[in-house]
Amino acid sequence: MSSTTVNTRPGRRGSRARLALACTATAAALLLTGCTTVNSSGGGSNAGASGGGGTDYLPDETVKKIVNGREIKVGFAPPILSEFYTQVEKAAQNKMKEYEDRFGVKWKWERQGALNDAHSGTETLGIVQGYIARKFDAVFVCSAANASTMQALYKQGSAKGIDFYQFNSTEELANPSQAENPTGGLSTVSNIGYDDRWQSGYLAGQYIAKQLKGQGSIIQIMGPSGSDWTKLRQLGFKKAIAEYPDMKIVGEADGGYVRDKGLTAAQDLLTKFPDVKAIYGENEDMALGAAQAIDARGLKHWDGTSGIITIGADGLVSGMDAIKAGKLTATVDVNSSEMGSRMIETLFAHEFLGQEVNQFIRIPTGVVDKSNVDWHEGVLKNVLSGPGKY
Amino acid sequence: MSTTTTTPMKDNKSLTDRAAGRLLVDPTLGVLALLLLICLISAFALPVFLNPSNLYNLLNTSLIVMILAMGMTVVLISGGIDLSIGTTMALCAGVAATTMNYGLPLIAALLAALATGALVGIGNGLLITRLGLPDFIATLAMLGFASGILYIWTKGVPIIGYMVPEFYTIGGLTPLVGPLTLPMLIALAVALVLGGILGSTRLGTHFFAVGSSKTGAMQSGVRVDRIRAQAYIVSGLAAAVAGIIMAGRNTNVPADLGNGYEIQAIAAAVIGGAALTGGRGRILGAILGAITLAATVNLINLVGVPSSYQKIVIGAILVVAVLANRLSAVISAKVRQRRALVLEGIPA
Repeated sequence: MSSTTVNTRPGRRGSRARLALACTATAAALLLTGCTTVNSSGGGSNAGASGGGGTDYLPDETVKKIVNGREIKVGFAPPILSEFYTQVEKAAQNKMKEYEDRFGVKWKWERQGALNDAHSGTETLGIVQGYIARKFDAVFVCSAANASTMQALYKQGSAKGIDFYQFNSTEELANPSQAENPTGGLSTVSNIGYDDRWQSGYLAGQYIAKQLKGQGSIIQIMGPSGSDWTKLRQLGFKKAIAEYPDMKIVGEADGGYVRDKGLTAAQDLLTKFPDVKAIYGENEDMALGAAQAIDARGLKHWDGTSGIITIGADGLVSGMDAIKAGKLTATVDVNSSEMGSRMIETLFAHEFLGQEVNQFIRIPTGVVDKSNVDWHEGVLKNVLSGPGKY
Repeated sequence: MSTTTTTPMKDNKSLTDRAAGRLLVDPTLGVLALLLLICLISAFALPVFLNPSNLYNLLNTSLIVMILAMGMTVVLISGGIDLSIGTTMALCAGVAATTMNYGLPLIAALLAALATGALVGIGNGLLITRLGLPDFIATLAMLGFASGILYIWTKGVPIIGYMVPEFYTIGGLTPLVGPLTLPMLIALAVALVLGGILGSTRLGTHFFAVGSSKTGAMQSGVRVDRIRAQAYIVSGLAAAVAGIIMAGRNTNVPADLGNGYEIQAIAAAVIGGAALTGGRGRILGAILGAITLAATVNLINLVGVPSSYQKIVIGAILVVAVLANRLSAVISAKVRQRRALVLEGIPA
């Protein structure tokens, strides 16, 4: 699971002298500390999820000299504008504000997300091409577009001096060889995503199985067929359920990643399978729609011993509110706040300090239910009320 | 409740012959037949389909598209098309939710949403009648404006925190009386009002006249531009009503809430017999069209097939419905021609 491969491309910008100073200082610091991880933030990083470099090994004054008041133009291209990507962006901007205050770096930040069909990826391609044409310094991309199409686009942009960072994407699982071989076609500086994509599906399946003691039938509300997220979360979920022979997935329907379709799909499936013990909504909005379907049919939500379990994935404030209200049983928090923070740490290490950064940076995930929702919600609300704004 | 440009034959044929003849010329009966066919197939394939709770859910699910389709039908009858209806619904839902979040009373939120829908309708009307833009382009631009406003305003973050107990009732999540939900009653009211307008008022006649022939209507003294603008105000208001219900049903308002609903509304209206060329359509047809779409999705969900099949099935139903409508229009024209010849004493 841990990040083992590194990107060996040096930072493009900055004078050779600055780069040499940074590399020398970093190397010296690494020799002294014998450590390659960055300072972690938010919900606690696992040891293997090392970041892209660090600033803790150098005095702030030294980093300030390296940065020298430079301005960096960064594009942010999520697949769609949503609560989840807003959380990622806010965490990133908090980190940007911190670096601005500490090191004097100046940021130009632009966000553009698809407004129509996020799952085709077509709009994201246009947005990224726009960033390339406008000569941004670095671009964060999460796209549902075909992996090879994205790699070609990254290569095209890199040739024009733009650094790409993938986030929240599924590529290393869609092409497992690239996880072992970073030269296998991956064209980004780094890939920052949550720990082991299908684990959100696997964790959800495990949670249901443990709560139900390995017995009962389940229905699933899925994202659009063909989506990488859907495919991979399905792999994880089915893998977890397969470990319990007395558990069965009896039905599934498309919820389109949105709440009202999730509600309709859950209503239809609850009619056909009134005895189900759990509903897996592949994302949080669909799980919340399913929770509404339980209310609409006058059924009972899971109270720890009986009722219907509903579990989603994302880790949204609205999901956590529903958990506290007893309407949603659990969610897999894929740690949007740490993802956003790590994105900026990695970019800063590569672009300004000229450090080597990990090709795959994996953010830990965890199940949130009533037992720990206060902590997770606290972290999230703290991030959302942070000072970052660009 | 509804009207068409066709009239039933009054001759000495048997009741069966008249019913068969009417089936050929009346698109509403066609969609009813299609719906019954789907229900029959579903009932055989999956007995749970006829489960009362399933039929109840199916009806509840269809209501938002049904209301949008009724508004769309009025626009289609008058010879236009409203591509902005889905995003207008989302915008109105956003206005209602935000107004509630500002702490204003529920009635103010509802009025604000309705006013927004009417304003969008007026905007569409002005773009078409004053700037002379084609309906397709004007409403496509309005789709962009409404969507853009909602994205800028929400910054892509769904609006939450506005739900009060009344909103659960408005959204149909809490029944109003017995099994009846408020959206059911609202849809019925919208159907009665629009059906009444189309069937029994001068305005309704003008919608049909303008849609059938703008020039002819103008020569008859109909204020064509005003009538066309009024049709868009009707669809804007229908979108606002649907948006208010959607805000309650969804319990949050994401900026992309209305994506794809314009297509569903057009599909339901066309399946229900409305002609894209104008002058033809029925409110009852729109209702049946929306239920047909919901029944299709329901069947697919019950069977458990992937969404890609859903799109194919809906596409196929649309093609069949449009072909049936076209056939019905041709037969209807021939029947009228034959009747005219008979009246003139010429053997048909």
